[in-house]
Amino acid sequence: MRRHVEGRNWSKVVAFIAVGAIIVASCGSSKKSATTAAPTGTGSQSTTAPSGTTAPSGTTAPAGTNAPSGGAHELVIDRDMDINSLDISASYCDTCQIFNTAVYETLITVDPADPNKLLPRLATSWQANTDNTVFTFKLDPAAKFADGSQVEAKDVKFSWQRLGNLKGSASYLMAGMKSIDDSDPTTVVITFDAPNSAFLPIVAASYLGIINSDVATAQGATDAADAATADKAGDWFLAHSAGSGPYQLESYTQGDKLVLTRNDKYWGAKKPAFPRVTIAEVKDSSSQLQQLQSGDADISMQISVDAVGQLQGNADVTTKIVDSYNYVYIALSPGAAGGEKLQDVTVRKAIKEAIDYDGAIQALVAGKGKKQASPIPNGFIGSAGLPLPEYNLDDAKKLLSAAGLADGFELDATYPDANVYGVDFNLMMQKIQQDLAKVKINLKLTPIQFTDWITRINAKGIPVTAVYFAPDHTDTSQYIQYFGLIPNSFWAGSAGGGAAGKPMDNPKESDLLKQALGSSGDAKAKAYTDAGQQMIDDEIIIPIVNTQLVLASRTNITGMHYSACCNLDLGLLGLAG
Amino acid sequence: MPFLLLGIVTIAFCISRLIPADPLASIVGVRQMANPTIVAAARQKWGLNGSILEQYWVFLKNLVRGDLGISFRTRKPVTHDLLDRLPATLELAVGALVVGGVGGVALGAYAASKKDKMADHLSRGFSLLGSSLPVFWIGLVFLFVLYARLGWFPGPGRLPPRTKPPGHVTGFYTIDSLLDGNFTLFRQCLWRLVLPCFVLGWAYMGQLSRLVRAAMLDEINSDYVRTARAKGLAERLVMRRHVLRNAWLPTLTILGFSFAQLLTASVLTETIFQWNGIGSYAVQSANTLDFPGINGVSLFAGLAFLLANLATDVLYAVADPKIRLA
Repeated sequence: MRRHVEGRNWSKVVAFIAVGAIIVASCGSSKKSATTAAPTGTGSQSTTAPSGTTAPSGTTAPAGTNAPSGGAHELVIDRDMDINSLDISASYCDTCQIFNTAVYETLITVDPADPNKLLPRLATSWQANTDNTVFTFKLDPAAKFADGSQVEAKDVKFSWQRLGNLKGSASYLMAGMKSIDDSDPTTVVITFDAPNSAFLPIVAASYLGIINSDVATAQGATDAADAATADKAGDWFLAHSAGSGPYQLESYTQGDKLVLTRNDKYWGAKKPAFPRVTIAEVKDSSSQLQQLQSGDADISMQISVDAVGQLQGNADVTTKIVDSYNYVYIALSPGAAGGEKLQDVTVRKAIKEAIDYDGAIQALVAGKGKKQASPIPNGFIGSAGLPLPEYNLDDAKKLLSAAGLADGFELDATYPDANVYGVDFNLMMQKIQQDLAKVKINLKLTPIQFTDWITRINAKGIPVTAVYFAPDHTDTSQYIQYFGLIPNSFWAGSAGGGAAGKPMDNPKESDLLKQALGSSGDAKAKAYTDAGQQMIDDEIIIPIVNTQLVLASRTNITGMHYSACCNLDLGLLGLAG
Repeated sequence: MPFLLLGIVTIAFCISRLIPADPLASIVGVRQMANPTIVAAARQKWGLNGSILEQYWVFLKNLVRGDLGISFRTRKPVTHDLLDRLPATLELAVGALVVGGVGGVALGAYAASKKDKMADHLSRGFSLLGSSLPVFWIGLVFLFVLYARLGWFPGPGRLPPRTKPPGHVTGFYTIDSLLDGNFTLFRQCLWRLVLPCFVLGWAYMGQLSRLVRAAMLDEINSDYVRTARAKGLAERLVMRRHVLRNAWLPTLTILGFSFAQLLTASVLTETIFQWNGIGSYAVQSANTLDFPGINGVSLFAGLAFLLANLATDVLYAVADPKIRLA
């Protein structure tokens, strides 16, 4: 009998604790309190046209500290990773940019504070000839790979030729390369078939990092013309690295984590701060937030802007909202089956004017985003001075009436079921569907998996779709090459109906790109601006929001930044105190 | 059994190939899909250039040799990927089975012994809650309350952050940490199993407890139980030796089936708790149309169910002397 009574009491105690726990848990914020750095909501990038990207020669190395500041603290970064390869020459993803920059080094890099300013890294100086066809780089004789061997011109030649010949997604960066002279171990001379003033910013792209060619070739890597089929080093790069950067690859478990260790022999001025860096696969924003709050993570890379408020009052966490060059857009494809009514540019213009951009930005990213004029994002050369899209319902109706479509029509809108840069594509397309319903255009929304979307857009195009874009480097040429109606452009083909159709063409854009690549300074900026205006007039690409980024880290992490070329340069991070 | 497995992999093969999407899109990327030379080279490299029948024939030939192919996504043999992730899933499934099995039997037996009393209603309510609440929701709520708010439990993941895994012997972190003599890590790994195992096990606990309760109530009213009571046997012994023992057989069937389900259906739990097991591998393979990965997971699921059924049959014979295996 006594045991029975004890059992009852015990049950009550357990029940009491459980109820108490739920009440405590649901009582507002946790005990961790104090002030959070308030989100500024202001961007750090200028929207005025910079004077050009012609690089200064012989710029001095950025100041850095010699002593590692991280001590024994191991850095943990939460991120929804999208790694397609850890072979720098075959990689092409946002997380790859972070990995490549930490493990490999480029000849020059971009100043995180000013995307149009180039800084030395493996090269101490560089110069272009007058017509931008020959580029000469002087390598830093102190530059060493992690195995202690010197970074030489032959490594640069190997890395760049391999990048081009592997025919991966980033191979386009080496298009037009004619030859590379590596006869002097400390001098690299690269020659192009045609003027290419974009090359210096391209050199700063993480994919152009330099591989230790002796190590890589010993593992089956090749830079020969048939590298796409002959190169056998892809598997080796999943578990090893051969770079000169501040960190080295320790291990990678797909779907789990990427672990880097400090390169103790790092040659650069700023020594890597952390003995170990783990990039953990954490898919959703709320988990990233929780782990940052608890201290399990030092940096969370994809916290949504509307979750920032939950961090207010937490002195252990610092958040800052900065401008980015990422954006989401919708694309209209007149050549796609079912998109015939879009062949009239007036109809495309009407669709553009029927979208309430401010309302969309408010609904999608809580107002933490900007309107964008053309496919060239705010802050890039050629973006300034272009007219921002405006919501004008009356004008949209008039345009449709003039096109004989005042009674409306239906359009297929198939898009990837994704949430990118904090924008839920389903929500965005529902908002656009509501807007277009006001001009009697009925969008039939079909969200599909990204792989299905790629298959379909390449095969026959999609009348209305939504996608996203982040820069590979800091030159504007990439936007014309991808979005412009020029030969081999992705969107010229897709808007024309993919493989089943005929690519669209706007010869003026080809001419303007050629002009820009052959010039520098103001002339180059003007050519890019004109190309931007042409792309606006095409009415194919309609940017919805240029998103902002949340930089969220534990307060003791220093050097948090967003870099246009490299996303996040781990070598610049440190630990306060 | 081989024919059953062949049927499973054939259906999985056909379904994956009939999806109107090209897996090459996730291999070569958006830009290069428009380049026919690159697409053709990739198609040849990954064995996607023949007809579906030709691809199926190659798949079967490789399968006979135990080769499930190379994953499009991880670039590693699928067999390696599955074996690599199996310990994580097994740790989770075994833990959940313990929670679900022990909890379910205990709760069901207790409810049966307290039929129509408050304890019965409460335990039935608890089990109903476990079987009806969505696993992903429970997981998220538990993480929010017990980890993020109260800090009583560790966060997601098999290991604490900034901790190296134990030396690889079995792949089970709990066992490997013990083999390393690292008891602190063992405790941490075990502690990290609690929340996901409870979340996963609760649903099965609910099903099992209701089954055990019903089976026990059937037995309680049997003549032999009345006889046992009439002989003056203590109620505790009547319940344990007679009622529970005879109610055990249907429970065994459910337990075997549940274990196979736990091995193959922990997709949501693995995703929420960042558990890099076969469930999350299945999701990633499906999302990227990783055909070899999809086929490998399908084969694993088929094997899991077949082996669980076999084990159940064997245990049946052990539990009930009247049943003899042929």
